[in-house]
Amino acid sequence: MNKLFPLFFLLISFADFDVKQSQFIARQGQVSFFSYTSVENIEAKNNQVLSLLDIDKKEIAISMLMRAFVFKKDLMYEHFNESYIESDMYPKANFIGKIIDFDASNKETQTRIVRGKLTIHGITKEIEIKTAIENTKGNYSISGDFDISIKDFQIKVPPILSSNIAKTISIKFTFQYQPYEE
Amino acid sequence: MKNKKITFLSILVLLLLMSGYFYNIPLFSSSEKNLQNELAELAVSSNDLINAYSINEEKSDRLYAGKIIEVTGFIKEISFLNNRNTIILNSNTETFGVICDVNPNQEEKIKLLKKHQKIRVKGICKGFLKDVILLNCSIDLIPNE
Repeated sequence: MNKLFPLFFLLISFADFDVKQSQFIARQGQVSFFSYTSVENIEAKNNQVLSLLDIDKKEIAISMLMRAFVFKKDLMYEHFNESYIESDMYPKANFIGKIIDFDASNKETQTRIVRGKLTIHGITKEIEIKTAIENTKGNYSISGDFDISIKDFQIKVPPILSSNIAKTISIKFTFQYQPYEE
Repeated sequence: MKNKKITFLSILVLLLLMSGYFYNIPLFSSSEKNLQNELAELAVSSNDLINAYSINEEKSDRLYAGKIIEVTGFIKEISFLNNRNTIILNSNTETFGVICDVNPNQEEKIKLLKKHQKIRVKGICKGFLKDVILLNCSIDLIPNE
């Protein structure tokens, strides 16, 4: 009996590996935004966006550093962080949401609505985003795009620059997830 | 008298040119700077950096964020996701690390790197999510002691 015990233990520890992975992480998610006006096009990319996906709870959480957005020009970066987003006070943007009707076992690309709360510039708004969810060999990737209005997040643009910055900003995102071990 | 006027005018023009230069440079320069020849303000090991951030994020942000820092650590992962060259440095806590987004001019060096190698990177610290994020990194290879 005593000899059987280690064997039993071994079996259990192997069984542990078989437990279905329910949490996934993306450390290098990509989020970009665009502001198109007749005067100037502004584009910025953040390649270090963190996201967690829980396929059991059908929940998704996203967090990013506003200072990690890379612009074409230094001045855009300065204006964005100092005047518009005020990154010293609000260094992060967050999103927490639920994927509606998400089927984790579906091997095909599924288009789903994610409903949740987006926080930018210290202001939280309820939004719905249409996303494409792909399942490749048990790893997930999520992508999509949506528009936000800068007024909703109380981002003030001085009158002189109002023709340079669009009223609605389009945002694009892609996340590639890996199994997450705690 | 005439001579004075000329010198005054030439100084004025020179001043205008200089101010134009300094005001316009940020308009055209890219935010992807080359830091290879710049001096780092602080030097830390990846372990110390992550410890500091996991204990008190706000305080560490004030100390590190927005500054050029030098971080020494072991490579956990090298990835080329989204056409970015990224190195993730290890820490003694399993879940946290340092994500280094490497400047494209370091491409030759990144090819020489291997997992678990000890390196030093220099980059601008942007803050902390689950990992500390460094952008515009340049790589310093240190021989394994």
